[in-house]
Amino acid sequence: MDDTETATNSAPPPNPNPLKNEQTLDGDGDVSYPSYFQCCVCLDLLYKPIVLACGHISCFWCVHRAMHGLRASHCAVCRQPYVHFPGICQLLHHLLLKMEPVAYKRREVEVLEEEKRLNVFSPQFENSMITEEDSDASEEIQKSTEDLKASKVITSKEPCPPETGPEIGKHKQVSVDDVLCELCKELLFQPSVLNCGHVFCDTCLSDLANGPLLCPACQSPHPGGFPNVCLDLDHFLEEQFPTKYAVRKEKAQLKRVEWRLRESSSSSLQEGKKAEPHDLKDDPLFLEEDLRNVHIGVGCDTCGMYPITGKRYRCKDCKEEIGFDLCETCYNSSSKLPGRFNQRHTPDHEFEVDKSQMLCSILFRSFVDDLQQEGSVIFLPDDHPHDHGDADDDDDADENNNGATE
Amino acid sequence: MLDLSRVQKELTECNKDTAVSGVTLSLNGSDLTHLAGTITGPLGTPYEGGVFHIDIKLPSGYPFEPPKMQFITKVWHPNISSQNGAICLDILKDQWSPALTLKTALLSLQALLSAPAPDDPQDAVVAQQYLRNHPTFVATAKYWTEAFAKTASIGIEQKVQKLVEMGFPEALVRSTLEMVNGDENMALEQLCSG
Repeated sequence: MDDTETATNSAPPPNPNPLKNEQTLDGDGDVSYPSYFQCCVCLDLLYKPIVLACGHISCFWCVHRAMHGLRASHCAVCRQPYVHFPGICQLLHHLLLKMEPVAYKRREVEVLEEEKRLNVFSPQFENSMITEEDSDASEEIQKSTEDLKASKVITSKEPCPPETGPEIGKHKQVSVDDVLCELCKELLFQPSVLNCGHVFCDTCLSDLANGPLLCPACQSPHPGGFPNVCLDLDHFLEEQFPTKYAVRKEKAQLKRVEWRLRESSSSSLQEGKKAEPHDLKDDPLFLEEDLRNVHIGVGCDTCGMYPITGKRYRCKDCKEEIGFDLCETCYNSSSKLPGRFNQRHTPDHEFEVDKSQMLCSILFRSFVDDLQQEGSVIFLPDDHPHDHGDADDDDDADENNNGATE
Repeated sequence: MLDLSRVQKELTECNKDTAVSGVTLSLNGSDLTHLAGTITGPLGTPYEGGVFHIDIKLPSGYPFEPPKMQFITKVWHPNISSQNGAICLDILKDQWSPALTLKTALLSLQALLSAPAPDDPQDAVVAQQYLRNHPTFVATAKYWTEAFAKTASIGIEQKVQKLVEMGFPEALVRSTLEMVNGDENMALEQLCSG
C-alpha cells in the first residue's frame, strides 16, 4: 500500500444517506468517520489504535496517559483492570489510514508535533508519512492534505456511483484483504486483539491449545485472561461486508455447535477458557506491602507490563529520555522486540538491574504522608477511601459564605 | 498539558441538545480551563424548576484527572455542602474515567439531585435532616430552590436596579453579575466584600 495509491483512491464517495452513527461535526471538514472509530478519550479519530483486553479501543497516547503508574490501570469505558500496555493494533492502524486518509494524516501531524515537544515518540511505522528527520515533510503533508480535501470536494459534486453490489460497504477503499484473520486467512469474524496488537477471530483463538495464550503470529505471550471481542471493529465489519460477514457468522455458529457436542461427549468437563478473567486479586499490584517492588511509572518495553513489578532491567546504552526497560521475564526470554516508544535499542546494548525503586517508594510514601497530613484530595484510583476533606480545608470558605446566608 | 481540542469538542457537543439534556456548558471568558455549567432541577424533586450554576475548573491533567466542580447556586442536599457548594460524588474523585465528559459529569450531578446518598454525606447537617426529618428536608430544599435557584427568572435589569438601589455603582454591578452568572446573592456578596 503506497501513499499515492491511497491518495487517489481516497476521496470517499458522497454519502446520500448518512447513517445515524456517522459524525457530522460542523466546521470540521474532514470528520466523516464512523463514531465507533472515535477515541473515547480525545474524542477525535483514533490514532495508532490500541485495543485493550476488554475489547475497547483508544489511541496509543490516550491509553498510555490514562494508565496508572503505580498500580493496575482500568479501561476508561468499562473499568476492567489491566497491567500491560498493549501494542498498537497495526491492522486497525492501516485500516484507518486507508479509510480516512485526510483525518488520519491530520492526526499524525498533530500527534508528531506533540511528540516532538515532549521528546517521546510512539512507534513509527515503515509506511508512515512523516519521518522524524524530515522536517519539510509535515509541510508537504499539509499540502497534500489540502489537495485531498480539494479532490474530495470535486468528487462530491459528481453523481454518486451506483451501488455495485451488497459486498462493498460505505468505505470503498477498504477491501476484505485489509481485515483478514492471521490464522484462518478469512474475513475476521468477532475479532479479538492480543496484547501484541495482532488480530484473530475469536473462534480461531479458542481453537488453540490450552495453557498460556501465545500469539500465533509473533509468539509473544498474551498476559491476563482471554481477550474479549472488539465489538467496534466487529460492527464495522458487519456493516462493511454484510454478505461475507453473514457467511462467516453461519460457519462460526456451526463450529460452535460442533464444539459443544465434542465437549459434552468428552468425559472431562473442560472449563471454559472464556469468561474467566485473570484473577487480579492474585496480582502483586494489589498488595500494598509489595509496593516496594513496583517501579513507579516504568514499563517493560517488550510485554508492556506497566508499572514493572519485581526486577527491572534498564538498558545502559539507550539515549532516549524514556529509556529502555525490561521486566525479569522478558529479560530472560529470547524475544527481541523493538521498544514501545521508538527507542533505538539494539540487541548488543547492555542491561543493568535497576535499584532506584527503593528510593522511589520511600519518596512516594513520604509524599503520600505529606498529602494526607494536609488533608488535600489525592487522586489515586480504587482503594483510597473517599476524601471528605471538607471539614478542615474549607473552613475559610465557610466563613466567607456564612455572611451571605444570614 | 490540557487537551484543549477535546474541551472545544465537548463544548459544541454539550450545547447541541441542551433542551433535552437540561445541562449547559459555557465558557467563562476566554479561558478554556474555567467553565460554567448549569443543570435544571429534576422534575418531581424539591429542586424542580430551579437552575443550578456550577463552577468548573479543569486541572492540567484533564481528561486524565477529574474536573473540579462546585455548585455556585446554593442548594440543600446531603451530598452538596450547604456552605460552599462542594460536591461529594465518586466520579468527580476516585471513580473518574477519561471516557467521561463534562456533560456526563453534569448529568451525574443532575442524577445526584434526584437520588441523594445520605449514607455518604458531604453535609452532615443536611444528611441528618434527610434521614430523621424528611418532610422538613423537602421543605428546606424547596425553599432554597425558590430562594437561590430561581433568581435567574428575574430579568437581569431588575437585578441591576435592585443592587444599584442599594448604593453600588451600575457598571460594577453589571460586571459583578456577569462574573457570577447572574446570581444576585453571589453578586451582593462580592460587592460587599469589595
